[in-house]
Amino acid sequence: MNSNVEQPPSLVREIKKKGFLYEIKKHRILYLMSVPALIVLIMFSYIPFAGIWMAFTDFNVVDGIYGSKFVGLDNFKFFFENGMGWKVTYNTLFINFFGIILGIIVPVTLAILLHEVRGVAFKKMTQSMMFFPYFISWIVVGAIIYGIFSTDVGIANQLLKALGADPIRWYSEPKYWKAIIIIASVWKWSGYSSIIYLAAMANFDESLYESAKVDGANKLQRILFLTVPMLKPTMIILTLMSVGRIFYGDFGMIYGIVGNNPVLADEVTVIDTYVYQSMRTLGFSYSTAIGLLQSVMGLILVTLANRSAKKFNDGEGLF
Amino acid sequence: MVEKSFVDKLVTTLAYALVGCFAIACLYPLVMVVSVSFSSEREIARHGYSIIPQALSLDTYRYIFANSGARILRSYGVTIFVTVAGTIGALLITSMIAYAISIRKLKYRNVLAFVCNFTIIFSAGLIPWYIVSVNYYGLKNSTIALILPSIFSVWNMFLMRTYFAAISPSLYEAAEIDGANHFTIFWRVALPLSKTPLLTVGLMYALQYWNDWWNALIFINDKDLFPLQYYLYNILSNVNAISSGRIPSGAASGITLPAETVKMAVTVITIGPIIFLYPFIQKYFVQGVMTGALKE
Repeated sequence: MNSNVEQPPSLVREIKKKGFLYEIKKHRILYLMSVPALIVLIMFSYIPFAGIWMAFTDFNVVDGIYGSKFVGLDNFKFFFENGMGWKVTYNTLFINFFGIILGIIVPVTLAILLHEVRGVAFKKMTQSMMFFPYFISWIVVGAIIYGIFSTDVGIANQLLKALGADPIRWYSEPKYWKAIIIIASVWKWSGYSSIIYLAAMANFDESLYESAKVDGANKLQRILFLTVPMLKPTMIILTLMSVGRIFYGDFGMIYGIVGNNPVLADEVTVIDTYVYQSMRTLGFSYSTAIGLLQSVMGLILVTLANRSAKKFNDGEGLF
Repeated sequence: MVEKSFVDKLVTTLAYALVGCFAIACLYPLVMVVSVSFSSEREIARHGYSIIPQALSLDTYRYIFANSGARILRSYGVTIFVTVAGTIGALLITSMIAYAISIRKLKYRNVLAFVCNFTIIFSAGLIPWYIVSVNYYGLKNSTIALILPSIFSVWNMFLMRTYFAAISPSLYEAAEIDGANHFTIFWRVALPLSKTPLLTVGLMYALQYWNDWWNALIFINDKDLFPLQYYLYNILSNVNAISSGRIPSGAASGITLPAETVKMAVTVITIGPIIFLYPFIQKYFVQGVMTGALKE
């Protein structure tokens, strides 16, 4: 508004009416309806921001967050100098990277294949079965994995014995566990993710398939040259969403599957479980610093992912 | 064309075979867990886990309820209370703000949406969250700690907003002319028209509360407040540590390992209601996810 130009009195009142307080008062019920959710966000997301300062101090309870000694970037330096920084970052990225790749390939394949299945009963039945892992907690997945890989009674060792091979003490062999965790995560989410792709496929133009059929394309060609390219935008959006979170490990998954088993820790500790563990052993400041580093990396990646999503998605971002 | 029909048949056969295999792989572990829980401990120790119950018996369940029945019932109570109270509260809080943000006339709706959005792209991390929750909100060892921190999910809010935004504004205007305020419109018009999203989001919250053990791990020491999942976690995590062989045998001998069938029976008790409910509710999930995905 141009304040140095003299306004007729009625217009001044009009402008005042459009002010902040006027808007709040006019729609007070709508704003009041948002208050409970905002309170939860303020309590659990915004107020904790004040604690970020701890990352730059040597926090002790007596002096409090703002009274403790300022140490600059020492906490961050220690994270990388003690060797754990690179290790847990590598573990996180490794598990997430393969989780993302398989998390596209498997559900897309399932969706395409499910689309080819004509028997309604078979389709319904298998889809229900595939959805089951989505409903159980990581603790239950942990119990299942124990049933498969337990040394004495597990299914895997029974199989090895039947094949004449020596049983493996899985829970003392760290090298297998990245793979086990990745497979478990694909197992848990694939049924659910395939629904999203099926939803996209339900929208495809049936006439394209008809004309391809007339032109003599077989099913495989129709899948490879019609379905897959048309699924690409959905795949890209879902991938970008996961890439934005690639620095975040799934705490529940890791702890549910391996718990705090010290023998396997080197291979499967991700940033999130490391933060939790170091909270008890190495103090609040150090673990706050790691959490902050993770958040900043996440922020950068989400912003980049959002920007590229806009390119693929007609100007619409991820959120 | 012989070749074409051959390829087509091959694709169809493969589709049935692979889909079938994957579906079996998804349900196989459940069958294993259930059948071990109904087996006799001695047979399992001798032959290992299998998907066919060995020497079918109910002994394990009898044993569990005789020994820790009270504790399990208590945990059931905690989980059921948290799931019911949490889901109702979460649905109310989520749908109210989602409705507000869906109203186009609301001038600051983008500000509200941003306040929500920002929390998913940037967070202070675990430690500051933990410190304020414990030191300032007093959430240590309280049932509220199992409910409040997860009572509002921004993702679910945006899902609901998408549905509310699809309701024709003319319906609201008619009610407004009749003198209804926005809460009445929300309650009488918007909610009754949004049964699918309410059900979908409600189920997501219910599942989240039922399966949650993170809040318990962080906030709860008192055994009386353990939800089911955390109870199971405690049983299993001891086993993991001991079977790694790191704990010296002398120390391990003092701890009695929960028997194999007991572990699986507790697992079955934990997922029991889900096993019974999921065939009925999964179709609503599918519906909700599909329509949600289409609208995005």
